[in-house]
Amino acid sequence: MSLRVTDIIDSGDNAKRNLAIDRWCAGRPAAELLAACAELDAYRRRETNLYKRVRALFFLTAIHRYHLPARPELPRSGRVPFAGFRHLLERRFEEAIAAFLRVQTDQGPSETLSSALAAAHHALAFQTLADQVRRTVRSTRGNAWMFRLGHPLDQPLRVRPELLARDTPETPHPVLRERTPVRMDLTHCGWSDIFFLGMDFPEGARVLNISIDLGVHGRDAAPRPPVEAFFRVIDEPVIRLASVDLEASACLTTLDEVFDFGRDYLGLLKAAIIAAGLVPPGIERSGASLAELLGAIFGPGRGFELVSNVNRIPKGSRLAVSTNLLGALIGVCMRATGQVRSLTGAMDEPERRSVAARAILGEWLGGSGGGWQDSGGLWPGIKLIEGAPAQPDDPEYGVSRGRLLPRHTLLGHDRIPAEARRKLQDSLVLVHGGMAQNVGPILEMVTEKYLLRGEAEWAARQRAVATLDDILALLAAGDIRGLGAALTANFRGPLQTIIPWVTNLYTETLIELTRAEFGDDFWGFWMLGGMSGGGMGFIFAPERRREGQERLRDIMLATKREFQAALPFAMDPVVYDFAINEDGSVATVLTGDAALLPVAYYQQAMPACLRRAARDLSARERRDLQQFTHAARTQPEFSGALPALLDRMLPTNDTNGGSGRRLTELLAENGFDRAQHEQIRSDLRAGRIGLAMNRLSATTRIEDVKPGALFDATSGGSEHRAAGAAALRRGEVAVVTYAAGVGSRWTQGAGVVKGLHPFARLGGRHRSFIETHLVKTRRAAAEAGAAIPHVFTTSHLTHAPIEHWVRGAVGAAWESDVWLSPGRSIGLRLVPTVRDLHFAWEETAQQKLDEQKEKMRESVRAALTGWARTSGEGADYTDNVPEQCLHPVGHWFELPNLLKNGTLARLLAAHPQLRTLVAHNIDTLGATPDAALLGWFQASGATLGWEVIPKRIEDHGGGLARVDGRLRIVEGLSLPREEDEFALTYYSTNTCWVDIDRLLAVFGLTRADLANEERNAAAVRALATRLPTYVTLKDVKKRWGHGQEDVYPVAQFEKLWGDMTALPECRSVFAVVPRARGQQLKDQAQLDSWQRDGSAAHIESLCAW
Amino acid sequence: MRIRKALVTAANPRQRTLPLQTLVDPHGEPKSALQIVLEEAAGAGIEEFCMVVCPGDEAAYADACGALRPAVRFVTQPAARGYGHAVLCGREFTGGEPFLHLVGDHLHVAQGKTSCARQLLDVAAAENAPVSAVQPTRESQLTSYGAVGGRLVGGDRPLYQIEAVLEKPTPTVAEQQLIVPGLRAGFYLCFFGLHVLGTEIFTLLDEQQAAAPDRPLGLSPALHTLAGRQRYLAFAVAGRRYDIGAPYGLLLAQLALSLSGRERDRVLTQLVELLALRPTES
Repeated sequence: MSLRVTDIIDSGDNAKRNLAIDRWCAGRPAAELLAACAELDAYRRRETNLYKRVRALFFLTAIHRYHLPARPELPRSGRVPFAGFRHLLERRFEEAIAAFLRVQTDQGPSETLSSALAAAHHALAFQTLADQVRRTVRSTRGNAWMFRLGHPLDQPLRVRPELLARDTPETPHPVLRERTPVRMDLTHCGWSDIFFLGMDFPEGARVLNISIDLGVHGRDAAPRPPVEAFFRVIDEPVIRLASVDLEASACLTTLDEVFDFGRDYLGLLKAAIIAAGLVPPGIERSGASLAELLGAIFGPGRGFELVSNVNRIPKGSRLAVSTNLLGALIGVCMRATGQVRSLTGAMDEPERRSVAARAILGEWLGGSGGGWQDSGGLWPGIKLIEGAPAQPDDPEYGVSRGRLLPRHTLLGHDRIPAEARRKLQDSLVLVHGGMAQNVGPILEMVTEKYLLRGEAEWAARQRAVATLDDILALLAAGDIRGLGAALTANFRGPLQTIIPWVTNLYTETLIELTRAEFGDDFWGFWMLGGMSGGGMGFIFAPERRREGQERLRDIMLATKREFQAALPFAMDPVVYDFAINEDGSVATVLTGDAALLPVAYYQQAMPACLRRAARDLSARERRDLQQFTHAARTQPEFSGALPALLDRMLPTNDTNGGSGRRLTELLAENGFDRAQHEQIRSDLRAGRIGLAMNRLSATTRIEDVKPGALFDATSGGSEHRAAGAAALRRGEVAVVTYAAGVGSRWTQGAGVVKGLHPFARLGGRHRSFIETHLVKTRRAAAEAGAAIPHVFTTSHLTHAPIEHWVRGAVGAAWESDVWLSPGRSIGLRLVPTVRDLHFAWEETAQQKLDEQKEKMRESVRAALTGWARTSGEGADYTDNVPEQCLHPVGHWFELPNLLKNGTLARLLAAHPQLRTLVAHNIDTLGATPDAALLGWFQASGATLGWEVIPKRIEDHGGGLARVDGRLRIVEGLSLPREEDEFALTYYSTNTCWVDIDRLLAVFGLTRADLANEERNAAAVRALATRLPTYVTLKDVKKRWGHGQEDVYPVAQFEKLWGDMTALPECRSVFAVVPRARGQQLKDQAQLDSWQRDGSAAHIESLCAW
Repeated sequence: MRIRKALVTAANPRQRTLPLQTLVDPHGEPKSALQIVLEEAAGAGIEEFCMVVCPGDEAAYADACGALRPAVRFVTQPAARGYGHAVLCGREFTGGEPFLHLVGDHLHVAQGKTSCARQLLDVAAAENAPVSAVQPTRESQLTSYGAVGGRLVGGDRPLYQIEAVLEKPTPTVAEQQLIVPGLRAGFYLCFFGLHVLGTEIFTLLDEQQAAAPDRPLGLSPALHTLAGRQRYLAFAVAGRRYDIGAPYGLLLAQLALSLSGRERDRVLTQLVELLALRPTES
């Protein structure tokens, strides 16, 4: 009897329960898969066990996302109902699923609908999991009371009397200082410390976690606990917060300010105050007075100050700096209020667990989320952290198999002798590679793969779990060489099998170079966690460790320089010094003259005090000044800070002058049109242009394409293949790839050359988009037996790095077969108008986030609105590196630029037989000069031929529509109503076939005119005025500090090539192509499904490496 | 088990005048708080009292004892060395008998006719075990009292077997260690200021004092140890305690006494008048 799909979830037999859904689906026809979906849907609705429900949801996701679309009998195109899409955005996932299923029943299944159902089930699965973790965090004993407290009079916490004790009112209040190490994970646990995994598979959730002190090699004298939190009572009924690393401080006077996480850089400190129960979460929006609440804890008229310091350890170190800082902050607040009994010294086990549980709560409040091992720095030395099965007394019992909080077993010197610890320290070099990437998508992928039990991944996970015991044995035996080999094998094997994207070209190059230089003395590579390029460990023979430290810094810097255009680096790489911390988190009360905050605190706070008259200073400020002065006389650390303090107070040269000059030069070099810019600014400020104005008039008729109005190339288009192949043989085609972009979505605005970004492993190693396109074209040319010239259009942002790479890669083909077309148009970004910000946030459909993240987003938006107002709406955006201030002006200019910059003229001179271009986006990896499509296009006699694909739910931004009766490509931002997009069946791939001569005719030119630059420029300008200008908001990153980043939405202007279909004299034809050809790779989160659904294999099949 | 003796502690140097405050008892008679406490115990069958006071307070307390003065003996606690130490000072007085222990700054008002002390003594006699009176208390008040964790013994009385005792815990700790099945969320069993204890408590206090001679000696740690060593019960008495040392404690105690006595209507009427006259904030 065959196994029912729900039996996989329900079975008591491990072999059945761990069966991969992919295996179950293999060979089953669509009808059977649809029946399985119905069965799973009914199952998940009646099942009460959380994890069974979630697993059913992921099964549904996988069937709709991967298996149904792979069945040839499934219709490709359908419609996603707009109402369902709205539900999805508003996180009403059940309603969305119901709406999609209704349409599936009425109109039949389709790939389009399956994409919508996959998205809804996927989101519902994660929401169910996240809700459960949150519920558990709230109901964890020791946390729950804070959610019940709603009035200051109910505040039960009281400050410890030791923190109020002082000899006279002039004596400073004692300072309570918590010093906490960070943690490293010696096994890279295969992400088994994700809450979802730990709570479902506690047996597999195991990590070897080591608390360490840290210093930056060459900067700090010796390693020390990097994380510090300071707490002191103050004689004002307010909360003062300061982060000395972020140079941010705030004085909170109302409860609302405490709960406003995104307002400043102090969200972590606020989360700590809330999670520590000083301002309990239950009191949010109660309207109560903060002073009254503080009065209950500290006495009337008093408040407290909380200061954080991470000793300039960069963000993204993969050493859980921020979670341990949160732990230290919460710990110091809990000690101060007696929730942790020990005021000073280390904590005992129940106390550490209380603080760790609050740190999880704090991370949830702050909208972030780490793994459960991250607060490991609270514990001393080396410990084994393992998932723990839920017991009848636990709130998790009956809900999940595992408990929220894991079990910590300290591995004392009896298990890991001092000698072994010393050996580890003598061989290991810890580094930060300089990249800081969002690990969120990775964690989602890992969770999903675990619940689906993908065969390879599941086997890899089992291996990773077993590896821990090997690693532990090697460490205990002091066999560091063996440890290095085991860690490398873990990285090469299980980790990369679970998530191929865990490594990148940068990491691989570093390993390769280190291996080349150190040979057998390089004992192994250790991936510290999350994504590649941040925290890493290199293990050397002890006698070469010091050399390894020095050389790695140089190797990393040189490699970073090589790749910095292609990969998102947040800072220069650093090498750490480290030492195992055997104490865990330790607190000390500092009194009298020793009651000092970190030096940097005074450096930041004192200048403002010194600028004011002494009589205007508060008693606290006077005391701080006196203390600082006294410390500066007696302590070298403080006296050394005096010059820096003077620098802050005295005027210095403008450090931005250099970048200001470079911006001006770049503008001049790239033909920036100041007059046009001023016109745009005045139009923007006056409201003549803006996001709302992008839209077509509300009376415009938007209809879907009629059947038969486009060419169906999905079934091969064999009737045109022979003619196309002949044209290829005649050398009539060139490929144009748009490579002007900086991968905003790919890197969340970090600004890398997307074309050069080594996005995935193909043909055995990491390849960039440009390399992949070149290889495809080379293969097509070889098959055609004729040259196929390839042009990459560039912009000021991408030209130099692309030229550098392409020249090196193509050798003699440079400017015979491979060409670059430099951009000839440039824009300067503007500070957006508040009107446009509001339009973007309120008038366009947006993904609603979960409750805490939504609060965070609201608060960030309020801050951004304030920024736009104070910076001046419509003002030039210049407060960033020049590359982030300039913008390309839309892909409409890409082909006209070939005219303006003479590339087309040179191309035609070299290849006069050229008739047709196929132009496509850099991330449309499947685009090729396909013979069947070429034959079709040439036979059509049209000027432009457009490739479209049946829409999936993720395909946003317009599509193919009949606009007032004319079939054209329409941009999403110009559709009068958002729902119009959902009436369209096809999505534009932006791949466009161009008849060179007919296009020239549209511009009023002929081949003979191409030599006349002025005429070309005038022709382009004339046509440009007939096309709409769109205002868009783009997120750009501003980097500062030690790996910190801010994202700003800035306004820019675009003209889009698709609008050519609106010109009556420019005849367009349209073809529907297979998804594998038209699929764009916009977002890193797509990579995994891109590989799983066969897209990656398809691209491999087009290439010849 | 018959209990004849009561040990009353009133040696907290910060609260030494509290038991001397004058209140009007439920019968309308002005009395010191101490007298009310002693009379409640006497009404429950206590014959001899021992008061642990600060040195020099004997005379004032003797005056405040009213008609029970002849039954009261005074012992001084030479230095403020903790609540547990104050109890230890009464060891000689108990003479090896189990005893009722009261704190001088707590008044009790029973729900019915049986006084709180009587209820407790009855339970102690029936169970033949040390027992502390407790009252379910909101978590916001936790940091004012000793609190116990345990489980219901069963039967028709709110009687609990104590498993843990913590002095003035934070709710963070209480949620983890003092959960009592059957109580409303956010409520904990907190001491009532009435205990029936055997002489083993003195042994435990001795042990703990010897272990940390320089630290103030608390009673709760000794009670916690007691719970680990023998059957030790908590009984939720039908009544309420009023801590006259808390802010507005004396006022609330007075109101509770009056509203449970024969002048209830008079006090209530005046309260209503007071409420009606209360100026509103602009």
